[in-house]
Amino acid sequence: MPARRLTSPTGMVVLLGQLLLSQAAGAEDTTPHDWLNRMGAAVQTTSYEGTVIRIRDGNSEALKVVHTIIDGVVREKVVAQEGSGLEIIRNGNEVHCILPDRKSVLVEVWDDQSTLFSTLPSSDIRFGNEYDVAIIREDRIAGRPTIELAIRPHDAYRYGHRIWLDTETGFPLQTQLINADGTALEEVKFVDISLNQEIQASALAPSYSTENFLWLTQPERHTVLNIEAAWGSTDLPPGFRPVATHGENLPGNDQPVTHILYSDGLANVSVFIAAQDGEGAEGASSVGRSNTYSFVIDGHQVTAVGEVPAITVEQIATGMRPR
Amino acid sequence: MNDAIRMQISAFVDGELPENEAELLLRRMSQDVELRQKVAEYLAIGRLMRGEVNVPGIDRLHERVAAAISETASDAPLDTSGQQAIVPVRRSVRPLAGFAVAATVALIAIFGLQMTPGVDQPVTAPAGTQAVVAEEASYTVPEPADDQLRQYYLSHGETSSAFGANGFNSRFVTLRLSEEVLAEPTEEDAVSDDEEVTDEAPAQP
Repeated sequence: MPARRLTSPTGMVVLLGQLLLSQAAGAEDTTPHDWLNRMGAAVQTTSYEGTVIRIRDGNSEALKVVHTIIDGVVREKVVAQEGSGLEIIRNGNEVHCILPDRKSVLVEVWDDQSTLFSTLPSSDIRFGNEYDVAIIREDRIAGRPTIELAIRPHDAYRYGHRIWLDTETGFPLQTQLINADGTALEEVKFVDISLNQEIQASALAPSYSTENFLWLTQPERHTVLNIEAAWGSTDLPPGFRPVATHGENLPGNDQPVTHILYSDGLANVSVFIAAQDGEGAEGASSVGRSNTYSFVIDGHQVTAVGEVPAITVEQIATGMRPR
Repeated sequence: MNDAIRMQISAFVDGELPENEAELLLRRMSQDVELRQKVAEYLAIGRLMRGEVNVPGIDRLHERVAAAISETASDAPLDTSGQQAIVPVRRSVRPLAGFAVAATVALIAIFGLQMTPGVDQPVTAPAGTQAVVAEEASYTVPEPADDQLRQYYLSHGETSSAFGANGFNSRFVTLRLSEEVLAEPTEEDAVSDDEEVTDEAPAQP
C-alpha cells in the first residue's frame, strides 16, 4: 500500500532520504567551475541580510550587513557590532561613513566596484594552470547546506582559497584565504543570513538622524591616463601576465606614475614606476594580506603591490626593466 | 579538528572546561594557529549570542578617538563627552581638512581592530586562562606608512576592481587603506573653517 507508506513517519523518512540523495547526486554532477560560475552570478544578484564575522590572526570582529542591488546600483549597509556603532552606507559609488558619537558623516566616492564578497574574474581570464579547483565536502554554514570548494595554487607564488557556497543559491557563506602551509590567513563567514528576502528601505537607511551632523567630503584623488608601457618584467612568476597599463597622477607626485597590473587570473600584482630624484625606498612591507616590495633602478623607483606572498612582489619588482 | 576538540573549545569559551583541561588547551593554543582561530571564532559567536557589544579595551579605544578628534577637529561641533550635545542647526559640508586623524581612528575601530592584539579579548574567560587569552588590553594606532605607498595600495584596489580581477579580500584591504589615507594630514588640512563651507549635503543613499 504505497499511499499508506508515504503518509507514515517511516515513509516520510524514506521519501526525504530519496530527495536528499537526489540533491546530492545533482551536486556531484556540478563541476567546481560550475559552482564558481554560480557564485559569480549569485554575488552579483543576491540580496542578503545577516551577521558576518571576520577572523584574522586569532582576532575577530562582527558586522551586521545588508546588501541589495536596485536597478543595477549596489546598496549596502555595514554596521560594526562593537565600539561606537560606526555605520557605512553605500549607494552605488557614494559611501557615507557615519560616526554617531562624533555626529559626523564622511562622504567618500569609491571607484572600487567590489562588494563585500567580491566576484571572481570573468571565466576567460580566471585560471590558467596555476590552480586546482576541487569540491571538498558538503558542510553547513549559518544553518544552510553548503558545498566547500578549495582553490589550491601549484606553487608558493599565490595564496589558496576555500569557499563554502550555499547549495541552493551558490552564494558564498564563508571564505578563507589559505597560506602556503595550509593555515587560514583570513576568514569571513556568515553566522546568520537571509538570502533573497525583500530588503526594506529602512534596513539600508542610517540608524541615526544625520540631519544635524557635520558632513565632510574627501577631495578627488587622482586621474588615470592610458599609456603604452615603457617597462616590463624580465622575471614574472609562472602564470602572471600584464593585463592593464595606466599613467596616473597621484597626490605627492609631480610626474605621472606608470601603473602596470599583472594577474594570474585570480591573484593580482600592481607595479608602479616613478621617476626618482633622490634615494628611493627599497625593501618589503605589508598591509593586511597585501605585500609590497620597492626597488630602485635606472633612476626610477619600482614598487610592486598585491594580495600575494612576499616572494611574488619581490620577484616581480626586481625583474622590472626599461624596454 | 575533530568534534571532541570543538566541544572542548565550546566548553572553554563558556567557562565550563575544568581548569586542568583548560590549561592543556591553552598550551596547545599557544602552538596551534588553527586552534587559536577557532577559539576566537567561538568567542565572537558567543558575544553575538549574548548580545554583547563591548570588548575589553574598547573604552580605551574610545578615549583615543576622542583625544584624536580633540586635537585635529577642535572646530567641529562634536560631542566628546559621551553625552547628548548641542548640535549645529544647519547641515554643512566641508572638505576633509582637519578631520583626518579622527576619521582614521574611528574607521580603525571597525576594520582594523583585529590588527591590534589585546583589544579583541574574550568577555568571559574561564578561570586559569588569563595568562594566554587575556593579555594586557591595549591598542595602538598604526603609524602612517609612506603616503606614496598608500596611494599605490588604493590605486591597485581600484584598478583590480575595474578590471574585474578583484579577489576575495580586496574590499577590506581597500577600506583599511582608506583609513590610512585619511590618517595623514595633508597641506589641504590647513584650510581654514571659513573656506568651502556650504549648506548643501550630498544626497543620502
